[in-house]
Amino acid sequence: MRKVLSILIILTLAISLVACGGNGETNEEGNVLDKDWKEIVKEAKGTEVSFYGWGGSQQTNEWIDGFLADTMKEKYDIKVNRVPMNIEDILNKMLSEKQLDSEGSIDVVWINGENFSTAKKSDLLMGTFTDVLPNFEKNLDVDSEEVKKDFGHEVDGMEAPFGKAQFVMIYDEARVDKYPVNHKELMEFAKSNKGKFTYPAPPDFTGSAFVRNIIYDIVGYENVKDLEPNKEQVKEKIMPAIGYLQELKPYLWREGKTYPATIAQLDNMYADGEVVMDMTYNPNSAEAKVRTGEFPESTRTFLFENGTIGNTHFLSIPFNSPNNPGALVLINEILSIEAQASKYDPKNWGDLPVIDNSKLSEEEKALFEEIDLGEATLPQEELLTNRIPELPADLVPIIEEIWLENIPTEGE
Amino acid sequence: MNFKISKIILYLLLFFLLVPLFVLVIWSFSNSWPWPNMLPKDLGIRAYKHIFSFRTGTLGVLIYSIILSATVTLITIIISIPASKALGVYDFPLKKLFKILVLAPIIVPPVAVAMGIHVSFIKMGLANTFLGVVLVHLIPCIPYGVRIITSVFEGIGEKMEIQAKVLGASSLQTFFHITLPMITPGVISAASMVFIVSFSQYFLTFLIGGGKVKTLSLVMFPYIQSGDRMMASAYSIVFSLTTLMILLIMEKSIKKKYKRETDLFV
Repeated sequence: MRKVLSILIILTLAISLVACGGNGETNEEGNVLDKDWKEIVKEAKGTEVSFYGWGGSQQTNEWIDGFLADTMKEKYDIKVNRVPMNIEDILNKMLSEKQLDSEGSIDVVWINGENFSTAKKSDLLMGTFTDVLPNFEKNLDVDSEEVKKDFGHEVDGMEAPFGKAQFVMIYDEARVDKYPVNHKELMEFAKSNKGKFTYPAPPDFTGSAFVRNIIYDIVGYENVKDLEPNKEQVKEKIMPAIGYLQELKPYLWREGKTYPATIAQLDNMYADGEVVMDMTYNPNSAEAKVRTGEFPESTRTFLFENGTIGNTHFLSIPFNSPNNPGALVLINEILSIEAQASKYDPKNWGDLPVIDNSKLSEEEKALFEEIDLGEATLPQEELLTNRIPELPADLVPIIEEIWLENIPTEGE
Repeated sequence: MNFKISKIILYLLLFFLLVPLFVLVIWSFSNSWPWPNMLPKDLGIRAYKHIFSFRTGTLGVLIYSIILSATVTLITIIISIPASKALGVYDFPLKKLFKILVLAPIIVPPVAVAMGIHVSFIKMGLANTFLGVVLVHLIPCIPYGVRIITSVFEGIGEKMEIQAKVLGASSLQTFFHITLPMITPGVISAASMVFIVSFSQYFLTFLIGGGKVKTLSLVMFPYIQSGDRMMASAYSIVFSLTTLMILLIMEKSIKKKYKRETDLFV
């Protein structure tokens, strides 16, 4: 009886000790950004860096837990702690922490687009840090649009590029004779393959990108990129594309009465052979899924002849990161040639590099050329020459709203 | 006749409970399983390789989740026993109201309350800590604990305890030798329920734990959301097997301890 009581008391004490440990940490900051790089590396040694970001892809997770964590451990004695969390939730967490000005737990956050602009506007980020990173200047084209702008927003050095993504269409070679390279051919295709094509309903990220791509193809990027975020004006401009989508609707899967709600659903429908085409915002994901066996061997990807949308995804540091030096060292390492090359390999992940090719030495170029991209992936040159930038982030939700209002679906 | 019908119902129930689980097992080994194949086209162990590789640290997360939920279960049971005794045995004004109020945490959606709790926890330094998550798990767990143990107390009443006291036992002696053995079966089912509730918490863990407290649900959820069916199924299998094993161990060890005493009364 005493024993039970004493165990209980010990437990309670132990738990309260754990809690105290959490409170006691203090954050010695100084101004990290004024320090010398060597000093930052020294300070980061032996620490732990928490990396927060989307965790729904096994390969991405394994790249971070594997290559990145190993490199950080070997080179800098830094432990990487990956936390899978959706960006909306991360933003909410940072917003509440900002309100109370409390210490955070996020060191590095994977972010881009609208979320970045929200974070920047609400002062949730540490500040301009990219000029401190040696690899930033060394390996990237720092004046390029893709580094300076994120969905039309000025980056101001508050986030560093992580990788590039580009919209590509996926098809099954065994079941599609000729893939459509523009909106007209897509219409023909849908008419002759009734019910075998569809796209995820916006605001799904990929579905929304498909709609923008159709808008680009019909209305032209030049004609929409400078629009004011005013619904009436946007609607007037993009109406031809919306009309096209309305016309397309009856030829879609289930006669367009309903759409897959997420890209995950469409991916699974494609894997199950319910549709013959799919789409993705990661040009390597089709190859990756062929390799895991989810997609058929005969899967290939293609682009529209007028190009497809591409964007850059970034890494940033929150205002209340408990380990600034560690975060900087980690981001710098991700910008290294080795990390970018390893990330590009579909075996590891298959994310497009952000490196400026003209800055590479012959050996470094060979590092990228050696990579076996597989049959389903398009070569980097082809992607990059057919790349159209994203629209400003504030236009995206407006377009999604217009879609929802004009393309009626059943059961909603 | 009656016997037969109840057997059929039992088997039907088992069938409907087990078939989905079985499909989950198949999916966790299937790379692809397109329509109209009855069986998967391509099998593999990608998902289990990922889960059980030391790099991804899933095993550590699993053990951590078990410790967390066990702590929650222990505390919930400690709180629930006296509360249940009061609700089950004693008479006091507004007892019915209290009985309903105990359920309030399940009736009120946790999202509505959790945001406010999060802010307070940040102020108190409880956010992102083990203790914070344990505390917030108590909210959905206590109703189950209290309700289940209350019905046990309603059944056994207070007579045995009074008898023990008449014979000169102290309060503590009465509790450990009389009350606890009698309510053990109820405590086991309450503890099982509470453990499962705590183990499967996603939203609260993730909000209050802020990613610092990493549980299995937290790691599993992104895969379900991203539609990686193989991964999601494999995680669900690991999830279910773990809970099942913990429940078995819990039941076995508690029953053993009180076996002799319970036999006296049951």
